[in-house]
Amino acid sequence: MNITNTRFWQMIFVGLVLCSIAVSAFAGSVNQTNEDFIAETFADNTPKSKVVWIKNDLRPAIATILGHEYIGLRIRYWQQGERTAWILEEIGKESPITFGIVITSGKVERVKVLAYRESRGGEIQQRAFTRQFTDATLKEQKLDRHIDGISGATLSVRAMTSVVTMALYLTEFINQIE
Amino acid sequence: MNRRMRSLHRSMGAAIALFVLLLSITGIFLNHSSDLKLDKHYLTWPWLLKHYGVSNVQADAVYLLDQSVISQFGTEIFVDAKPVTHAQRPLLGGVVLDEMIVLATDDALILLNSEGEFIERMGAAAGVPPMIQNIGLFHGAPVIQTREGMWRSDFMLDKWEAISLQGIGWSLSSPMPDSIQKQLVKYFHGEGVTVEHVLLDVHNGRILGAAGVWLLDLVGVLLTILSLTGIWMWLRRIG
Repeated sequence: MNITNTRFWQMIFVGLVLCSIAVSAFAGSVNQTNEDFIAETFADNTPKSKVVWIKNDLRPAIATILGHEYIGLRIRYWQQGERTAWILEEIGKESPITFGIVITSGKVERVKVLAYRESRGGEIQQRAFTRQFTDATLKEQKLDRHIDGISGATLSVRAMTSVVTMALYLTEFINQIE
Repeated sequence: MNRRMRSLHRSMGAAIALFVLLLSITGIFLNHSSDLKLDKHYLTWPWLLKHYGVSNVQADAVYLLDQSVISQFGTEIFVDAKPVTHAQRPLLGGVVLDEMIVLATDDALILLNSEGEFIERMGAAAGVPPMIQNIGLFHGAPVIQTREGMWRSDFMLDKWEAISLQGIGWSLSSPMPDSIQKQLVKYFHGEGVTVEHVLLDVHNGRILGAAGVWLLDLVGVLLTILSLTGIWMWLRRIG
């Protein structure tokens, strides 16, 4: 083996180590606390939180969106003008993922993974992935667009798609009853 | 030579007779396991459960609230023996408030209704002071002690005022009642160990761990030698 060849393998090894560090950095991390997300969304002029009770017709509708019964009797949200912020949790594969979602005038303004506790599939936290949801709207209880998946993160992608759809549906619901 | 072989055959026969009996009896039972429903019958002898390591069900925290037993196992929260929600942080206490159970971790309050159903988790974003150390009641109003002081709220739990009071009934942990402990053991480890499982482990030696497997291997080798010496002596006789 000549020197060039040795250097090549050394570079591959270093690259692998760096990749594994990057991947482990995604695993089990809290990116932002819920209160910081809300404060940031409303530029420190946070409105008083309200709750929506998940009962009557809303419960089966949410179950259809999530693909399972929602565990919890009410969900808290923050609303100011046309903007509504939600903090929702959904299990990816084994652990709950915390999402912060802002809906403005019936469209997704922003989606952020606030806490990711799964060991794999952390790529959904990247902006390159979350920006697919920007401006998404609700169409017959589904998103109006296709979300590209990530190999090895199918369940996390599904969880994010479900909670964003749920946030749009809930926003529509609370706007109707108010 | 023949006499020495016969002597070897006899002593090995005596040595493994007990094992042959054990293997034969357990083997017959295992052959008819389904008919005898041995896979449906459970053994719950404490020493056996301990031997299989399935008796060690230890809650991280236990609180008796509104005639319900609230416990935490890892990140799971149980009401009696039913899992109701999860909490990433350790439970620090709980109070009963207007037909609602309010549990505290250091970063949130977990609300359950009187049926034990999960209502909501309220953290700092919902106005709950952070770094909670304990929760209690003062004349029916919820009070929390945090690292930065004492706070009081009402049943809405979303507005907290700083206070300094004496005589607060702080939440205290309780021992796990035996009846719930038994249900939790059943939840985590099923009904116990099936008769079929125990018989199979006796049959293959695994009931004694790795040493049992080696012991049964040795019995197998001795049985092989016994068969070979038997055949050799039989051939000598007819020859």
